[in-house]
Order: sequence, then C-alpha cells, then structure tokens
Amino acid sequence: MFSSGTIYSNFTPLVKSPVIGYRISGSDVLDILKKLTKKNFSKDHSVIKVVELYNYNGDILDKCSVVYFKSPKSFTGEDVCEIFLHGSPLIASQLEQTLKNFNISGLRLAKNGEFSFRSVVNSKNSLKQAKAINAIISNESFSSLEYNKKLLFGGDILSGLAPLREDIINLFSEITASIDFVDDEDFNFKQIKKKVSAFFLKCNNILLDNKSKINQKNICKVMLIGPVNVGKSTLFNKLIDKDRAIVTDIKGTTRDILSNEFIFDGKKFEIFDTAGQRSKQGKIEKYGYKKAQSISKDIDHFFVLADKNTKKSDIKQLFDDFSVGDNHTLILTKSDQYQYKSKNIKISQNHDRELTMKKIKVSQIHKKYVSYKNQKIDFNLEEIDFLERILEYEHDIVKETDILIIAQLMRNILDDFSFEFGYINNEDVYDKVFSNFCIGK
Amino acid sequence: MEHYDVIVIGAGHAGIEAANISEKYGLKTALITKNYSDLGKLSCNPSIGGVGKTHIASEVDILGGVICKIGDKSAIHYRVLNLSKGPAVWGVRAQIDRDLYSKNMQKYVRSSKIDLIEDEAINIIEKNNKITGVECANTGKIKSKAVILTTGTFLNGKIYFGKETKEAGRIGNSSSKELAKFINKNFKTMRLKTGTPPRIYSKSINYDILEPQPSENNGIFLSYFTKQNTNKNINCYITKTNNKTHKIIRDNLDKSAMYSGIIKSQGVRYCPSIEDKITKFGDRNGHNIFLEPEGLNSELVYPNGISNSLDKKIQLKFLRSIKGLERCEVDQFGYAVEYDSVDPRELKNNFETKKIENFFLAGQINGTTGYEEAAGQGIYAGIHAVVKIKKVKFDNKVFERDNSYIGVLVDDLTKLGVTEPYRMFTSRAENRLKLRTDNSYERFATNINTKIFNKTDYNLINKNIDNEKKIIKKLESLKYSPNDLMKKKIKVKKDGKIRNGFEVLKFLDPTTNNFKKFFNITINQKLLTKIYFDSKYEVFYERERKSYDQLNKNKNMNLTNIDFNKIPSLSREILEKLNKYKPVNLHDAGKISGITPSALFQIIKHKRIKGTKVA
Repeated sequence: MFSSGTIYSNFTPLVKSPVIGYRISGSDVLDILKKLTKKNFSKDHSVIKVVELYNYNGDILDKCSVVYFKSPKSFTGEDVCEIFLHGSPLIASQLEQTLKNFNISGLRLAKNGEFSFRSVVNSKNSLKQAKAINAIISNESFSSLEYNKKLLFGGDILSGLAPLREDIINLFSEITASIDFVDDEDFNFKQIKKKVSAFFLKCNNILLDNKSKINQKNICKVMLIGPVNVGKSTLFNKLIDKDRAIVTDIKGTTRDILSNEFIFDGKKFEIFDTAGQRSKQGKIEKYGYKKAQSISKDIDHFFVLADKNTKKSDIKQLFDDFSVGDNHTLILTKSDQYQYKSKNIKISQNHDRELTMKKIKVSQIHKKYVSYKNQKIDFNLEEIDFLERILEYEHDIVKETDILIIAQLMRNILDDFSFEFGYINNEDVYDKVFSNFCIGK
Repeated sequence: MEHYDVIVIGAGHAGIEAANISEKYGLKTALITKNYSDLGKLSCNPSIGGVGKTHIASEVDILGGVICKIGDKSAIHYRVLNLSKGPAVWGVRAQIDRDLYSKNMQKYVRSSKIDLIEDEAINIIEKNNKITGVECANTGKIKSKAVILTTGTFLNGKIYFGKETKEAGRIGNSSSKELAKFINKNFKTMRLKTGTPPRIYSKSINYDILEPQPSENNGIFLSYFTKQNTNKNINCYITKTNNKTHKIIRDNLDKSAMYSGIIKSQGVRYCPSIEDKITKFGDRNGHNIFLEPEGLNSELVYPNGISNSLDKKIQLKFLRSIKGLERCEVDQFGYAVEYDSVDPRELKNNFETKKIENFFLAGQINGTTGYEEAAGQGIYAGIHAVVKIKKVKFDNKVFERDNSYIGVLVDDLTKLGVTEPYRMFTSRAENRLKLRTDNSYERFATNINTKIFNKTDYNLINKNIDNEKKIIKKLESLKYSPNDLMKKKIKVKKDGKIRNGFEVLKFLDPTTNNFKKFFNITINQKLLTKIYFDSKYEVFYERERKSYDQLNKNKNMNLTNIDFNKIPSLSREILEKLNKYKPVNLHDAGKISGITPSALFQIIKHKRIKGTKVA
C-alpha cells in the first residue's frame, strides 16, 4: 500500500485562520525537530513547548507551540510531532519548503488517509474504527454520527448488517444441502431461487430505506428577507456566530448561491443570503429576483425582518417576490431604538446569540420542518456500500440456471460477509444444514 | 525373521489401498488381518460412491488404487446422483454384491506381491520414537521400516443392541484391545460411534406394493478404466416409515442405546439413526427407506435409512409396521458400535504421527466414516510411506486442497480435527467447480506413471489425453466474432470480442451432433461433456487461480513461534480458538471458525513489529 518513510501534512485547512496545524509521523521526527527548532525533543514526550522555528535561510519561520509524541504513544504509533503555526498560508508554505530542503530520504507529503492507515497498521485503531473516524468527520446528520460513534467505540457486532449474516448462512446451507444431500430431502430448485430472490429483495429494501435516511441531512433551510438596512446582516452574523466561526464560503449548491450553516441546540441550519450580504467594495448588488425565486422553493422558513420604517406594502412585495406563505416569522428589529406595540418578536443587536435564538424560536422552527421520525439509523455509508456490492451479484444469480454456479456466487457473497463480520466457515453452514434438514442415512 | 519396508495392519478399505500402492512402488509389503475372509469386507452399506464419495474414489482410482475397479467388477446396480447438476457434483453410486466384492478383492490381493499375514497385531514396536516393527499374537515380532495402522472401528470396539452389548469391532469380529492400549498410551483419542441397520431376508419382503428403482448409470462407472459391467443388474426398492412406526419408536426410546444414555459418544449428524430422525424432525410424512439387495446370490436386503440401536424386539416390531415389510424376517439386527479413534491432529500433513517416526495412521481410525474416505486416506498414507522410505519423488502439489478432495480431507483432519465422524461433502471444497469426478486424470497428470498402471491402462490414459489436447487445440484455433455467432443463432453481447471455439462451446447444447455441425470435429459424448463444462466454468477457474496466488502470498506467514496471548486487542473468544487450534500459518488461522480479518490483521502486525520498527 503506502511505502514507508516519514510523512507530513497539515491537519487544519490551509486558510487564513488563527492556527494552521501540521503533523509529522515517522522515524525522522526527532531529526526534523532538531533541524527546525535547533532543540532536542527526545526527552519531551507529550509536552507542549513554545519554540522558534527556523526556515531554510536560517531566518525565523515562526514562533509557536510544538509537541512531540514518542512512539508508540502517539496517534500513528510512530514518533509524531504536531506544530501549531500562526494561521498564515504563507508561513505554512514556508514550512513545507523548509522540510523539503532538509533532504531527508523518504520524507514526503502524506497521501489521503495515510496517518489513519498507519494508526491501523500499528494497531492503534481497528480497520472499522479508522473508517468510522472518517465517517464521523464527513457526517452530515446527527443520527449517522451517533451510529458511527457507536461503531467506533462499540465494535463491529453492533452493525445493522449482522442479522443478514444469519440469512445468508441459512440460504447457503439450503443450497449446500440440495447438492450434497440430493437423495435425502426434496429440494426444489424453483423454491431455492425464490428464496435467493427474497434475500436480494430484503437487501434492496434495507438499502432504499437507509439510503434516504443517511442522505437526509436534517438541515432546516431558512432565509432572511427584508428591506435594506433593517438589520439582516446583524441578525445573519449573530446566527452564524461570526465572531467565533471561520466564515468560509461553502460551495455545494448547484445555483452558485452563498449560504452558511450554523448549529444551535444540536440542530443544523442552512441560512441563505439575500441582498446586501455579499456586497463588493462600494457597490451594493441588488439580489437577482430570478435567483431568489428559484431558491425560495427550497426554503423551509422565512424570517421576515421589519423595523419602524417598513411599510406594509414593502412586506407584501417581499412575500410576493419570495412566494412566502405561512412558513414565516415576522421579526421587528432594533428594539433598542424603537418601541413597538405589536406582539410580534422584537430583537436588538444588544441581545446575545443565545437570547436572540430563543426569541426567534429557532429550535421550534427546526422541529416543525425536520421530521424526527425514523431518526435511528442502523447502517452507515460503508455498509450501504457493502449492500450495493452484494446486490451486484443479483443480476448474475437471477439469470443462472446452474445451481453450482449459483452456489459458487453465493459463496463469494459469504466470503464478503466474512470479511466484514468474521469468518463464516463450513462448520457454520453445516450446523444449519443438519439442524434445518433431515438428511443422511 | 522377515524384514519389510511397510507393514499395513488391517485389511479394510484403507489397509488394502495402502498395501497395494506400496507394493506397486516396489516396496516389500505385508498386510496383516485377523481373518483372510475379512479382506474387502463392506461393513455397512453395500454400496460404493455417492456425492462427495465418488469424488474421493475417482482420485484413488487415478492414483493407482483398487476400490473403483473392484467396485465396478462387483456392481449390480448403478445410479447417478445429481446427474442434471453437472460433473462437478455427480455421484455415481454402485450397489455392490458383497460376496463378489470380497472374492474379487481377495483374488486381487493374493495375485499381487503383497505378503498376506493372518494374525492379530498386538503391539507396535518402536525404538527412540522410530518404528522398528510389529508384534503379532502367533507370528511374534516382525521387523519393518514403516507401519501403517488401519484398524477402522476395531480399537476397543463395543457394539450395542439396545441394552445388550458385546465387545466387537463389527458383528462377528472381535475388537482389538491390545493395540488399543498402545494407541491410548501414546496418542490423544476420542470415542466415536456409528450405527448400522438390520438386515432383512429378501424373501420376506412384499415387493409388489413397492416402488422399484432400476439401475441406470448413463455410461458412467466408478473407475476411469471400466468399459462395461457384465453383471446382472437388479432393482432397488423404496418404502417409507409411517406414523405407526414412529409411535413404536417413540414409545421405546428409553430402550435405545443412544437415547437412554448408555452410549455417550458423539454420533454422526448426517447419518442419523431413525431415533434421531423422529426426535428431531418428527413425522414428515414418513422417512424414506431404500431397500438395497446385498448380492445376486444373497438372501439379504440392506434397508438404508433405519440404522438404530434399539432392543431387538422393538426393531422387529417397528420394521413390521412398514409398508412391504409387514411379514419381514430379520437375519441380523441393527446395532451401534462405539470405538476409539485417534485425534487426527496427532498427524503431520503426510499422515505420519508427530510422535513416532514412520508410523502412519489411515482410515476410520482417524475419525472419518465411509469406505471412500478410508480408501483415500489409505492410498495417501501409502504414497507418503513410499516417499519417506524409498525417497521416491512425488509431486505433492496434487494434494493441496484446491486440487483434490483427498487434499481437502487431509487438510481438514490434520488442521481442524473432528468432533464427529468426518464425511466428505462437495461443499467442503472451496474449489468445488474444479474438483470434478471427470477430470481427476488432469489434476493428477503429473503422477501418471507406469509403476501404478499396467501397460493397457497407461496407454489408455495417454491416448485420451492426447486426443483431448488435439481437439482443444483445434477449437482454440477457430475464431468467432459476435456477428458470426449471431448468424449461427447464438446470442452474445455485441462487445466486439473475438472468441475462440473453446470459449464458444459453453453456448452450445453439448450433443455430439451439434458439436459436429458447429465445429466439424468428431468427438465422443464423454469427452464432449467434459470440455463443455471446462468451458462453462473457465471464468471461475480463472478467478480461483488469481485469488489462490494472492492467498499464497499471505498464507505462508509462519505462526509457529507466536504467543497469541501477547497480541493486543484480540477478543477472548478468538484468543481461545487460536490457542486451541494453534494454526501454523496465516492461511490456517483464517480457516478457524469465527476468526475475523481484523484479528488476522492484528496477527500480521504483531508478527511484523516483533523486533523490527515500522518505519
């Protein structure tokens, strides 16, 4: 797989941020640290030290925290060090250049997943656990997060596919019996084919059922609308917690619209930007109504903002432009400046995030639009993938008339199950054969 | 005093094959039996072959064995099981005339250079854990370089008719107690049990109301070399138990040796007694019974499917409740036999005992059941005794489990041991599609020589192999595009792939006429069937070759010096199994039930890290 040699990589994104982290793993770590910091770290296992780093010119590259982990007490099991650079992508690139200039044989940028791979090989994690780590990072919903955590900390047996193992052993045992004990019981080829089809149908149903559950992002989509200067940006920044979050533009929707995600009270939201949010220098772009209309179909809930100066006709216009129905909350802003008689929600820039969220009833809105039924998930993406692989056999088996070839293909499926769930060997099958069928003379 | 190269103790199916092959390779061979008349006795079922069994037998045949040849000579009824499923799982089963078989076998052995000794072996003589000879009751000490023990069910054998017991290896034969002492002293043994049904007088059966099963073998014989069977072929008959039968048995389970707890040892799951069948599976519209005649001149019939260890009176009662057997008379009642067998993990891969050099064990004594399984072990042990003593070159690859059923048998026995008498099933072989009854000559081609075959047989095999090669060559030289095939009414994907004649063969209906029409080549049906299935299964053979190479890389990772307890994060259950089975390499570790790939992974990592750093 991956060749040996010391590897390095950033473990936080290479964007302007408070910190950019680098991890180095392998037998050359102490040597690298010596060259970088001019200090000997061999006696400093698991201690964070603030040191100066020197680049390839001898100039100071950065002054920052560095920690060294001595093998085997590290993530990968090898010698590891972690460097917490100031979050400048330029400094990061200087570090990489410096590392290259050390001319250490075998030192290279890690490939995707290579640190995890080494952690598995060195037995710091099981294969499934390493996969679960990856799944946890890429999870989009809390339910699948919970499932993967269950696997990571609990083990393979808790997988939802485990019962299918029983099914396949039973099926295979019947096929086995029909070949090896042809004289003793009446085995009907058609019946067997039917049972095989039923098994695939079951797999298919599980797949369909869970694919949608897993893909379900449980995200509530909201949009802030209102006249300019009513305070949309203030509320927007409060919702996404701009003061703390790294605001990165999330690409991913097909219409090139900027949106941000935020999490509150364990619930995930996607908030869409409207006019005034992304203004270029000196130029305020009015939001294209065509674009707005196409998104508003996907919006779950609108927060309609108004202040003392907003006319009823303005609001009506907004409702028309964005096709707003009952799915809205009217929010009166700048309650620190104005007195409102109405009973609608009033917010002020002086309220903190927690209070603001409570006032606009964000949690209740999420509950309203995101279904909490069937939240429990029994499979993760890996296992869905596995089911899809199993189903690939269906086509070949269904058209096959030679029971031996069917048996051979079923054996392959059994082997795949073995790989995931522990070796299914002949004795497991025979146990079934002899308990399910009256055979033998 | 005589000095032999090989002494074989026990003239059953294993013993005869061992002695025969040893003699063919030119070793001075003795065969010891308590009675000359025991030679070639079929203890139980008067038939040879079946699904899985024929597979082993055909390999014995192509290795130079005798069970198939003598079997065909003595056959009086044939049936091919799984005929529609293809040669990979065909099981031609021959009903054997007991007398004929005995006579034919004795004639064969006496005309060979094997020294037949009628005596009882009472002790094995060894010095410094190496064989020096055997001691017999009357003949005294006989020197030998190697000894092959094939005593079947005779070691401390005890038979049971209900509560009545007798010390015997088989009805009419005394058990071997002296030898048993030696075996129990030196090796781990276990107590196994098997059963046999009553024998009924044919004249007392009412065949008129029963369903006949005539003989039919579609030209397929047990032996590669048999061209015809000249014996008269008779019918077998089928009947069933019924509710009355079941009631009688249920009411008297306490009188069954097995069910009343008198016999505590492990029986055979796939050879269940009628008590087992009724208790576990209930009435099921009656259980089938196959009435198999014991011989052309025999008065007796073997009712297959009702082995039991009930009291004699009860046996008669339940028999007479069965259709066609209302007035039956019994010659020999059914009984169970309990015997000592050796844990086959005491054996090395060549069936030599780990403890005593040049001492081999083969046959039912190793915990198997069935004549064919015994014969396979006998010839295997015999060959390896020859290789050891005479240092003959032998391509042992033919006995790997992906190439032969004997290989599967040996591997399963020596690696996993047995918990019940081991019987061969085709599903035990991972490479089942390749291990066919019609291609043993191919799988053992490297071993075909003039020592084990006479001139006629040797020439026959070579002629057939040459003919086959010629036809395959011709087929491979013919090329067909998808369009060509469409014109000939064969539907294939329009993938532009050019197929040769061999690849096209699987799309045809494999009759000799079709073949001639399509390819303009003359061929006989037997060969056509063979190459047709070669073509059909080729894609699986290819896959198997590839995965076997992959496995081979890992499989040899040596685990003999590993302390499994030191491997972190192995579950307790897996640790128990590893310590119990002590696999010698990774491949074997993987075969233990319940071992997970992540456990194998742990083992690999542990092996790698030990002493060396992972860079």
